[in-house]
Amino acid sequence: MIGNKMRKVEQADEAGALRIRWIPKYSAMERVFHWGHTVTFLGLAMTGMILFFPFLRPLAQGESGQLIRLVHRATAIAYGVLPLIYIILEPRRALMSLKSVFKVSRYDVEWVKGMIPYYMFGRHEAIAPQDRFNTGEKMNAAIIILGSVVFAITGLLMWFGKGLLPIGFFQFMVLLHDIAMIVTVCMFIVHFYLAVVHPLMWAGLVSMRFGVTSAAYAQEHHALWYYGEDKANEIYEAKKSERAAKDE
Amino acid sequence: MSRVAMLIDESICMGCRGCQVACKQWNDLPAEATTQQGSYENPPDLSPVTWTRVKFIERTQGDNLQWLFLTQGCFHCGNPACVEVCPTGALKQDPELGIVTVEWELCNGCGYCTQFCPFGIPRLDTDLLSGEGKAYKCTFCQDRVTNGLPPACVKTCPSGAFHFGDREEMLSIGKDRVEKLQQAGFPNANLYGEHEMGGLGRLYVLKERPLAYGLPENPQYPAMASLWQDLVQPLGTLAFGAAALAMMGFYFVSRRNIKMEEVE
Repeated sequence: MIGNKMRKVEQADEAGALRIRWIPKYSAMERVFHWGHTVTFLGLAMTGMILFFPFLRPLAQGESGQLIRLVHRATAIAYGVLPLIYIILEPRRALMSLKSVFKVSRYDVEWVKGMIPYYMFGRHEAIAPQDRFNTGEKMNAAIIILGSVVFAITGLLMWFGKGLLPIGFFQFMVLLHDIAMIVTVCMFIVHFYLAVVHPLMWAGLVSMRFGVTSAAYAQEHHALWYYGEDKANEIYEAKKSERAAKDE
Repeated sequence: MSRVAMLIDESICMGCRGCQVACKQWNDLPAEATTQQGSYENPPDLSPVTWTRVKFIERTQGDNLQWLFLTQGCFHCGNPACVEVCPTGALKQDPELGIVTVEWELCNGCGYCTQFCPFGIPRLDTDLLSGEGKAYKCTFCQDRVTNGLPPACVKTCPSGAFHFGDREEMLSIGKDRVEKLQQAGFPNANLYGEHEMGGLGRLYVLKERPLAYGLPENPQYPAMASLWQDLVQPLGTLAFGAAALAMMGFYFVSRRNIKMEEVE
């Protein structure tokens, strides 16, 4: 098993043996949070959609509808409690992750510009150096975090405020809950593609499973995190000019 | 048969509440334990087991106390918001008679109908924590009407305030009556429900402006319901499809262009 601590693979004797240096990326708590969040998110999306898609109407009716609504509420509690557990048990890591998710720099703008050449044509030099989370991961996290806040507020108000809130306000909550669902589910589709389906992106899945990433991968994909800004920028500029020279 | 309507002449109603009792009897609804609220009206509000009720509005004119009566119940709107927002199809509108009913076997207790009705008529019998429950409201005694009988409240009214039948006929009776009331010294008399919400199935002859009875002067189809059902939900479905299709497209493009052997 790959542990959560930095470890060096001993210099192998045989030529061609793979030497991978693993560095820790996600704590066990972070991985439990991520996968628990995934499971509850999907559970909520599926149980909620019985009220959204007309073709799922038979499931929404009568006893089955009541059961699914109950499951939705129970899952919602888990969905809401999970991030709180993360924040309580690892407050400093949680704060660090939160800060890096909402930190925007010029590298993010350049990442967006380099997205198509990189993800669709595999041009590595196009991608700006990234922090522990890349810009795409940050966009995903930001949208899911904000969406979850909207879910929590509107969901609790719909759950406990029925009959107490003015009906116009309640109606608005229903609408917002729906919009948050549409936005986050679309985000999920994109995230699923990039993290699981995309041919280049298997490394992210490995880190989210085992908590570590290879140093080589981190140098390539998370240079800001691995080297710090000065050196990462230097390497990025060098790569860009190298590619430009090659293209000419 | 064409669309039916109930015409209630509130200038004739004497507040006996026979309609309330007949409704409970025919629909097999239990009585409610209530407390003295300082008014003759009882129970204090519509509920899952009280589908119709006479509201007593007390007004003082000089030294005189005067009552206005309003027999509350479902309006059976021509354009019912509750039916549009119901995710189970439990709420439906009879295509011929225009009666709006709840099929309780289908209802899952979500309560959207209670939150989108501009009159606040449907009532939810629900458990706050689990959300289990059903919505209830007046059905115009659909079982009686489809068998040629008037609704229980109409049948029992001893004062002759209720009329029931073809909607056009009810409208003309109502208009005649309003004209007579206006001549008899009720200048504010009006017929409520001719055009509101696609034309109401419950029409009132009122002695005073609707506001005096606590009725919205100009009830509107909730804009949020149309925005939600006609715009957000179809756009949402489209967005899911577009996101999934785009990702599949990206997959094939990147598969073709990225040579895995060149990567690392």
